[in-house]
Formats: sequence, C-alpha cells, structure tokens
Amino acid sequence: MSEIKLSAEARTDFGKGAARRTRRAGLIPAVLYGHGEAPLHVSLPGHLTMLALKRTNALFSIDFDGKAHLAIAKDIQRDPVKDVIEHIDLLIVAKGEKVSVEVPVKIVGEAFPGTIHFVEMQRIAVEADATNLPSAIEVSIEGLEAGTQIRVADLVLPEGTTLAESAEGIVVTIAVPQSSAADEAADAEVAAVQAAASAAAAEAAPAV
Amino acid sequence: MLIPRRLKHRKQHHPGRSGAATGGTAISFGEFGIQALEPAYLTNRQIEAARIAMTRHIKRGGKVWINVYPDRPLTKKPAETRMGSGKGSPEWWIANVKPGRVLFELAGVPEELAREAMRRAQHKLPMKTRFVVREGGGV
Repeated sequence: MSEIKLSAEARTDFGKGAARRTRRAGLIPAVLYGHGEAPLHVSLPGHLTMLALKRTNALFSIDFDGKAHLAIAKDIQRDPVKDVIEHIDLLIVAKGEKVSVEVPVKIVGEAFPGTIHFVEMQRIAVEADATNLPSAIEVSIEGLEAGTQIRVADLVLPEGTTLAESAEGIVVTIAVPQSSAADEAADAEVAAVQAAASAAAAEAAPAV
Repeated sequence: MLIPRRLKHRKQHHPGRSGAATGGTAISFGEFGIQALEPAYLTNRQIEAARIAMTRHIKRGGKVWINVYPDRPLTKKPAETRMGSGKGSPEWWIANVKPGRVLFELAGVPEELAREAMRRAQHKLPMKTRFVVREGGGV
C-alpha cells in the first residue's frame, strides 16, 4: 500500500481556543507519537486529511520539520452532529513493524435466495505489517444456505496478516427472515387496543 | 413497551438536556441508523411507535436494534391541582437523548427499503433526526 503524503505544521498554542483557531484556518490538530519519542503536536491540512481518512487503515507519510514520519491513524475524534474531524492521534510506525489494527468485514456475493445475512462482527482484530495493512477482509456468502455460520477461523486473511483475536467468534450468520415473537405480541396488543377503541366508538354513537 | 423492571428511586429529577452525546454516536450493529440531531426526552411509547412503524414496513426480514432505553421516570401533577403537596406521580418513562446519538439500527434489508422504513419511524420521534449509513474508512 502506498503511503499518503501530508505536510504538517508545528503547533505551539494549546487548549480549546487555539484548537478552534486551528480548525477555523482549515487545519486539523493532531499529535504524532510512538517508538518512545516525545509526542509532536502538529496541524494537518483539513480537506486532504479528511479525504485520506476515508481509506481504512491508511498509511501516512507526515512531512514535519524536514523529516518524513511513517504513521497510521490510532484514534480519530469527530463531531457527532457535524461529522467533522476534530483531532487525530497518529502512531509512528516503521517499515517491517507488525501492528495490531481492526479491519472491517466486507461481504461479497449473494446468499441462497430467500435468506438474509447478518454481520455479527463488523471488524476483526489482526496483526499485520505496518506498511501493508489490509483495508478490508472479504467474506464470500455466495450460495450459502440458512443456518450457516462463518466463524473467525473460516476467514481467508490477506497474506502477511495474522489473527489477533479468538477464532471462535461468529462473523456472519445466514438466516431465513421471520418476524420475532416480540413483534407479533406487540402487533396483537395494538390490534386489541384498536378493536376496543372502535367497539367503544360504535357503542357511543347515537342509534339512528 | 420498554419499562425498567425495578428502580432505586421512584421519582427522579429531570435529566440535563445540554451538550451532545458522548457515546453511541456511530452505527455499531447494523448497516443503517437513525441519528438524533436535537436533544429530547424520548418516551417509551415513541420508541415503540417508531419500532412498529419500521418493522411493519420491512415486514419479514431485517433486524432492528434499539440503542436507547427509557430508564428515567418523569412525574406529573394532576390537572387543576394547587401547587405544593409534594412531587407528582410518575407518568412517563423517558430516554434522555442528546444530539448525535444513534437511536435505531437496521440490517438485512436493501438501502431503499431501509430509508423508507426509517422515514416512517422518524415521523414518530419528537426531535430532528437523520438517516445514517455505516461507512468504511477511519481507524
């Protein structure tokens, strides 16, 4: 995977006032740490960083102070309503280093007609080479019948990737769609209330 | 309808309504969701109405998650009662919803069907909401 090049500027003012000024200037406050080095407080170009982070487990080459740092996003803080990125934690990595990341599950294919699939585990924890992190783990459900379960152990991991969690977990289940007992009970309750209300209305209506 | 089985105090203060949600702001289980954009007290009746609207539309199939629980009692004094004489009796069960909170999630249905089912559910809710889809990317 090729790295995404971003140039960073140093941050000297801290606190919410300074962070808000940084955001108003179209930049994103970030911190760069790892490998026992002192944390570097930087600001990244807002739009470019936002576009880069659309890729899962993207590898960045942060150009700061005349030196390029390889890094991956460790944590992203977003505003839940405006959905803008407020702050990023970047973890410095080295070529050939193994890191633990969570990779999203991508469903491929169509299950047997008349069935639906449920993704029980949306992300799988894996260990992979920092410079070759997978962006998704493909799970094929082509032609699978109801009652089938795909476990973590059944996944085909990309080359150079190892599991970092229990192999027993269920990733995908195939089921026949059906309404639950709770739905049917609630529907029956609503129908009973409506029937009682219409009976009461009929009783209250003047006889012609 | 959702009601707590037991509780420590029958009558509580009104929960605070300021600020945004700090947790439960992303889709965790399903593929689609309804996200609150305003603060509100969401009653158990409204949650149930929204759930029924959604499940009736998707008919068989799909799975619905309700991410909020109405665990706070709100009291009301009877009509035409003089002030004083203590706090009223519990009248509603509410979930204190803050902006950004994902209220419902849905999976196992095509996006068009999910959009329509959730549009119907949104009409039952007392605050502005939006339809959200699980996205890739990020960490």
